[in-house]
Amino acid sequence: MDFLANLALGFGVALTPANLGFALVGCLVGTLVGVLPGIGPVATVAMLLPLTFHLEPVSGLIMLAGIFYGAQYGGSTTAVLVNMPGETSSVVTCIDGHQMARNGRAGAALTVAALGSFFAGTVATFMIALFAPPLAKVGQSFGAPEYFSLMVVGLIAAVVLAHGSIIKAVAMVLLGLLLGLVGTDGQTGGQRFTFGITILSDGIGFVPLAIGVFGLGEVIANLVHPQQRRDLVSSKISNLWLTKEEFKQAWPASVRGTLVGSILGVLPGGGATLSAFAGYVVEKKLARDPSRFGKGAIEGVAGPESANNAGAQASFIPMLTLGIPGNAVMALMIGALTIHGIQPGPQVMTERPALFWGMVASMWIGNLMLVIINLPMIGLWVQLLKVPYRQLYLAILLFSAIGVYTVNNNSFEVILTALFGVLGYVFIRLECEPAPLLLGFILGPLMEENLRRAMRISGGDPMIFLNRPISLGLLIAAALLLLVVALPFIRGKRDEVFQG
Amino acid sequence: MPAPPPRFHFLRRADVLAGLLFIAVAVIGLWASRDYPIGTTTRMGTGYVPRLLCWILLALGALIVVQGLRAGGFIELGRPIWRAMVFVPLSLLVFAFLIGPFGVVAATVALVLVGALAGRESRPLEVVAAAVLLVVLTLTIFVWGVGLPIPVWPEW
Repeated sequence: MDFLANLALGFGVALTPANLGFALVGCLVGTLVGVLPGIGPVATVAMLLPLTFHLEPVSGLIMLAGIFYGAQYGGSTTAVLVNMPGETSSVVTCIDGHQMARNGRAGAALTVAALGSFFAGTVATFMIALFAPPLAKVGQSFGAPEYFSLMVVGLIAAVVLAHGSIIKAVAMVLLGLLLGLVGTDGQTGGQRFTFGITILSDGIGFVPLAIGVFGLGEVIANLVHPQQRRDLVSSKISNLWLTKEEFKQAWPASVRGTLVGSILGVLPGGGATLSAFAGYVVEKKLARDPSRFGKGAIEGVAGPESANNAGAQASFIPMLTLGIPGNAVMALMIGALTIHGIQPGPQVMTERPALFWGMVASMWIGNLMLVIINLPMIGLWVQLLKVPYRQLYLAILLFSAIGVYTVNNNSFEVILTALFGVLGYVFIRLECEPAPLLLGFILGPLMEENLRRAMRISGGDPMIFLNRPISLGLLIAAALLLLVVALPFIRGKRDEVFQG
Repeated sequence: MPAPPPRFHFLRRADVLAGLLFIAVAVIGLWASRDYPIGTTTRMGTGYVPRLLCWILLALGALIVVQGLRAGGFIELGRPIWRAMVFVPLSLLVFAFLIGPFGVVAATVALVLVGALAGRESRPLEVVAAAVLLVVLTLTIFVWGVGLPIPVWPEW
């Protein structure tokens, strides 16, 4: 059976001592940064990306995936103990997780988050192994028009799921597309928006952009608006075990969360954060006594924590099979693949099966490692939380600078990062969500290439996008998405969900 | 919130500023791409897609301004904003210029010293301690651990 043979191949790659080591290092570093509030997963992955460039592609990607999951796990620890989300995907975990900690059940909250995440990760790994090959087959039949329409759907979904104004999110996508076009035009060799700066003819690197906009912008914002004193509950983590009653309440929530996350993660624009919110809403709606929520209901931790991990992992599916990033972190993964000389798309699975299945297998191993790392080492992570921000941000600045510099040993990119940092802060102040910008940036050159190809096939007739059934279906989906959000009823719901 | 100045107070609306930002980018883009060959729809030139995107961005920017004038939150500009907004990027610039000729140790120390000015509650002793600790961490993790090929000491 193909399925088992593929997994066996994957585990063969992932279980070599070197790759196990890289997965472990990735998980540790990811947890470390994830625990720290004030740097989100995008900035974390971007900052640590350069560490993986000198490795073999498989090892580098395994480590990156580890960093990503580690950040998710670390984020929930902070949410439970400090009532501050380490990552946006654990915002909802704060609500009931921190209440549990105050009720003396911090250990139980952490255990349920870790085990729920592990369960979700296991299911999602199987989902990838099951659904990735057929999806890649579909992808291989796509021509330029289908790809273009697919990317339109991805961008529209990112817009719909962004916070705040939709027009602003569309404008951010356009800004990203434009930034992505800076440099030499691949088809004609012409220079675009380089303003006479020679280095820019290679284009803007995605590492300076991501670190600047997501990392430094956040640092400036935190310095301008210092956070309130942290409410650290650390003395009470004595008992990590769940009571029988808690277990009975938690496991169905965990299963439901996994389901929600697996579905929402695959959708373009979905991923960990959306899944977590949806997971929480589902639990609250289904609860016999919704008033328990907000006071330390264990389902309020188990549901969203399982959902965010399943969502995080499921979002790898469109990225790995179609080369289309569903969210900002996946956009970074696409960038990382490209730096390793791999053209993302459906051919990755057939041309580099060891890389693909090795990565899938390492996801499961990484999840297992995280349970083992996290629970016994919780005390160590708590110590990290005691480092005051006035010292922490200096470390963030330094690691950002070194991270960017080492991509090409190029000072110009560090300067670019500084500029993007200011821009990132401006975006925060002007309430412009940066994730659509990053997606646009990564997809810009790809979209242009496919648009040009489609136009050449059709002889300049844009109807080609509507004459082809798959392309038409995708565009209708995009239009429906936009329409749905424009409806006042859904708008209200959407705002409500994002209120957290 | 203090009363905004009577004349330009619409400039303090987040949406208006965001719209103006998009308009500015679009105008600069259209200006910079004025000589790019556009080509035909069948064979798109260098300028086709960029100019198309700029025009759409221009329209959206205008729409956002109009929307923002009707409603939208005010934002406050104060002193501490400039402090962080100047010294955070400056610390990276200093790092960028020092690392080539003087190596990562000097660049790290400079980044920490300049970066410390961005916060309002930095304490001198802590900053020095942070600088020492970060130099040690950089050397152990990045130079000796991962073996990144970066200059460590000044080239004499």
